Amino acid sequence: MPFLEFKNVEYSYVSGEDELIQALKSVSFSVERGEFVALVGCNGSGKSTLARLCNGLIAPDSGQVLVDGASTTDKSALFDIRKKIGIVFQNPDNQMVTTIVEDDVAFGPENLGLPPDEIRARVDWALKSVGMSEHAHSGPFRLSGGQKQRVAIAGVLAIKPELMILDEATGMLDPSGRREVLDVIKKLNRDENMAVIMITHFMEEAASADRIIVLDSGRIAADGGKELFKTPEVFESVGLDLPLYVRLARRLNEIGMDIGCPLSADEFAACVSAAIKGEGK
Amino acid sequence: MRDVSMGQYYPASSPVHRADPRIKLVILLLYLVTVFFCNSFFSFGFLTVFVLITIFLSRVPILKVLKSIKIVIIILVITTLLMMIFYTDTKSTPLAEWGIFHIYLNGIYAAIKLGWRLMLLVLMPTVLTLTSTPTELCDGLESLLSPLKVIHFPVHELALIMSIALRLIPTLIEETDKIMNAQKARGAAFESRNPFKKIKAMIPVLIPLFVSSFRRADELADAMDSRCYRGAKGRTRMKKLKAKLSDFMALLFWCAITVCILFLKYNWCGWAFIAALAL
Amino acid sequence: MIEVKNLSFVYSPKTPFTTQALFDINLKIETGDFFGIIGSTGAGKSTLVSHFNALTKVQKNSGAVLVDDMDLSAKKVDLKKLRSKVGMVFQYPEHQLFADTVLKDVMFGPKNLGLDKAECETRAKNAIELVGLNFAEIAERSPFELSGGQKRRVAIAGVIAMQPEILILDEPTAGLDPKGKREIMELVLRIKQSCPTVVMISHNMDEISEYCNKIAVLKNGRVMGVFSPRELFGSEELLNNCGVELPLVTELAVKLNALGVSVDKSVLTEAELFEQIKKAGNYA
Repeated sequence: MPFLEFKNVEYSYVSGEDELIQALKSVSFSVERGEFVALVGCNGSGKSTLARLCNGLIAPDSGQVLVDGASTTDKSALFDIRKKIGIVFQNPDNQMVTTIVEDDVAFGPENLGLPPDEIRARVDWALKSVGMSEHAHSGPFRLSGGQKQRVAIAGVLAIKPELMILDEATGMLDPSGRREVLDVIKKLNRDENMAVIMITHFMEEAASADRIIVLDSGRIAADGGKELFKTPEVFESVGLDLPLYVRLARRLNEIGMDIGCPLSADEFAACVSAAIKGEGK
Repeated sequence: MRDVSMGQYYPASSPVHRADPRIKLVILLLYLVTVFFCNSFFSFGFLTVFVLITIFLSRVPILKVLKSIKIVIIILVITTLLMMIFYTDTKSTPLAEWGIFHIYLNGIYAAIKLGWRLMLLVLMPTVLTLTSTPTELCDGLESLLSPLKVIHFPVHELALIMSIALRLIPTLIEETDKIMNAQKARGAAFESRNPFKKIKAMIPVLIPLFVSSFRRADELADAMDSRCYRGAKGRTRMKKLKAKLSDFMALLFWCAITVCILFLKYNWCGWAFIAALAL
Repeated sequence: MIEVKNLSFVYSPKTPFTTQALFDINLKIETGDFFGIIGSTGAGKSTLVSHFNALTKVQKNSGAVLVDDMDLSAKKVDLKKLRSKVGMVFQYPEHQLFADTVLKDVMFGPKNLGLDKAECETRAKNAIELVGLNFAEIAERSPFELSGGQKRRVAIAGVIAMQPEILILDEPTAGLDPKGKREIMELVLRIKQSCPTVVMISHNMDEISEYCNKIAVLKNGRVMGVFSPRELFGSEELLNNCGVELPLVTELAVKLNALGVSVDKSVLTEAELFEQIKKAGNYA
C-alpha cells in the first residue's frame, strides 16, 4: 500500500466572478515513504490545491486521497493524517502562532498532547535539525526570511511527520534564503528518511529531487525521474524554464559534444571538461 | 516599530523575570488595589520605595522603564498642571493668581498626589510587561482563569486569540506602513490638514489592509490546522507554569505591604497594638 | 536624472536604537539608464530608493538628492510634482489595490495629480493597455478577482498612469513563475520606451545582468561601486568583494575554468557561453 495515494481526484471551486474553476482534473499518483518528489507547474496549475488536498484541508469533489490507507474525507482520521503529513506554506510571516521561536515550534507537539519533557526534546531536536538552535528565544522580527522558513520547517518537523510538503516555501525568499531552506530539506530527506514533496517553479530546485511531477492546468502532464530532463519539451510546453545547464547541455549535445544530461552546475562543468579533454586525446 | 513584536519585553536574567507570571499578575492586581488606598505622602513614598526596589531587582534600566511610558508621563504632567491651575479652595487664600487661575497650596498638594498616584498605577504594569513575554502573560492568564472553564468560558481560545493578536500586531503595523508608502507614491495626500480629506484618504490604506488581514488569517488557520490543532482538547504545554517557593514569598511580602498601607490609611496601628497586647 | 550626493541615513536618530542604514552614498542615474541596484537583504536598497520620491526625507546635514532640478534636501519640496515625475512600484504591488473596479484603481494616481476626469480616464486606458490587458474586458471588473499576474499588471498600470519620467521597481518579478517573470520584464522594456529612466532593485542576477546597463552594488549601507554588467559579472574578485551572488552563467563559466576549460568569465548570456564552450572544444 503506497503511503500517499491520489485516486482520480477532481476538485473545483467557484471564483470571485461565479465562474466554476476546475483546479484538478482526474489526478492520480502515489508517493512512497522516503521519496523526494518535486511538483512543478506554473501559477494556476493547481499545485497548491493539490497540497491542501493531501492533509485534508480541503476534500476532493470526487475520487479519493488516501494516507496510509485512510481517506481524508473521514473526519475521524484527519488528526492522524495531519500527524503523518506536514505542510510548510509560502509566506513565512503567516505561519508563526506565537512571538517566540521555541514556543512556536512547540505548538504542533503540544497539540499532539505529548508530555512536556518529550515536547522539549522534540523542539530542541527540530531546531537543531534546521540549524536554528541559537535563535530559540528570538522573536520572528529579528529573523531573515530564510530563517523564518526554517523555523516553520522546524514547527512541522517537531510533529515528526513521514511526509513534508513545501508549498512554494522558497517562493518569497532571496537566493541565499532559498539555498538555506533547500539544504535543510535535502538533509532531512537524507538523514531522517522523511518523504518530501517540494512544490516549486524554480527548476534548479526541482533538479535536486529524485522524481518530478509536472502539473499543467490541473492535469499531470508528466511524472518521472531525472530522465525527464532529457525531454525538455515536457517542461517548456507548460511554460517552465529548464535550468541553464540543462539548456546548454542540450545545445552542446546537438553539435556533437557528448555530455549527457547534467543536473547541477558542478556536474555540467565536469561533463564539459571531460568531453573536451576526451576529444583532445 | 518592529520592537512591538515582543510586547516591550526587555530580556534579562533577574528574579523578577524568572518569577511565575501568575504570581506576577496576582501581585499586580493586589498592588493596583493598594495604590487606591494610598492617601498620604508617606504612604505614596512607602509604596514608591518598593516599586523602585522591584525595578532595581528586575535589572531593567530605570531610564528604559521611563522611556517606555514616555507618552503617559507627558499626559500625566499635563493633567497635574491642569489640576493645579483649576483647583479651587474657598477656605484659604491663593498663593498666586493670574486672571481666572488661582494656585492654592492644597491645590499643589492634591495635584502632586494625583500625579504620583497615576505614576504608580502605570509603573508596575510596565515593569510586568518589561519582565514577562507576551506568551508568559497569556499562559499566566489562561492558568488563572482556568476555573472559569467550569462555566464553559472559552479560556483557552481567549488566551490563544490574545497570543495571535500580539504576534500579528507588528506585522500589521509594518504592512500599514508599506501600503501607506505605496499610496503616497501614487500621490495620496495623507499630509492634508483637512480632517475630512484625511479620513477619505485612509480608504486606500484600510481596504488593502483588510484584504491582507483576511488572507493572513486564512493562511494562519491552514497552518494551524496542518499542525494538528484541534482546540484545547488533549492539548499539553511544553512550559508548565510552576510557582516556586520564592514566588509565594514575594506574594506574601506584597500582602504585607498592602496591610501596611491599610494601617497607614485607617490608623489601625492602635488597634493592632491592642490586638498584640491581648495575645 | 537622479543625483545622490553624500547621502547618509539613520533610523531612529537620537535614541538607543539608532542604526545607520546608509553611509555617504554617491550615485548618478542618467536619463535613459536601466539602472540596477543589488545587494543582500538589509543592505539599504529600499531605504535608498525611497529617498528618490521623498517617501523618506533627506535628513539634516546628511547629503542631498537631486531629481532633475528639484533638490529633495530642500525644506519645501513640491511633492505632487515629484511624485508625478518619479513613479515607484513596490514589492508585491498587487497588495496596494483597493478600488472596486480596475479603472478606478488605475485612475487613483492621475486623480491625485489633480487632472480632470477625462484626462484621468484616457491615461488609465493607455496604462492598462500598455501593461498588456484588454481595457474593455477588464476596466469594470474588481481587481480582487483577477489572477495574481493580472493584479500585478493592474498595480503597475496604476503607477504608469501617472506618466512618470523615472520608474523605480522594487523586485518586480518576486513570487512569479518563469513565464510571469519574463512577461513582466518584457513589460518593463515596453514601459521604458515612454519612461526613459528605469531603476530596478532585484535579487535575480540573471535579470540584472540581462537588462541593466549600470549596476550599483550596496553592501551594509555603502555603495561598493557602479559597474557595467560585464565589468561586474566578469570579475570574480569584484563579485566576491561585493558579496554578490553569481548569475548562473558566470557560475558555470567559473566552474569550467576551474576544471581547465578556458572560457571567458565575463559572458553574460547563455548564447555567449555556448559560443565560448564551442570555441574551447574546437567544435565548428
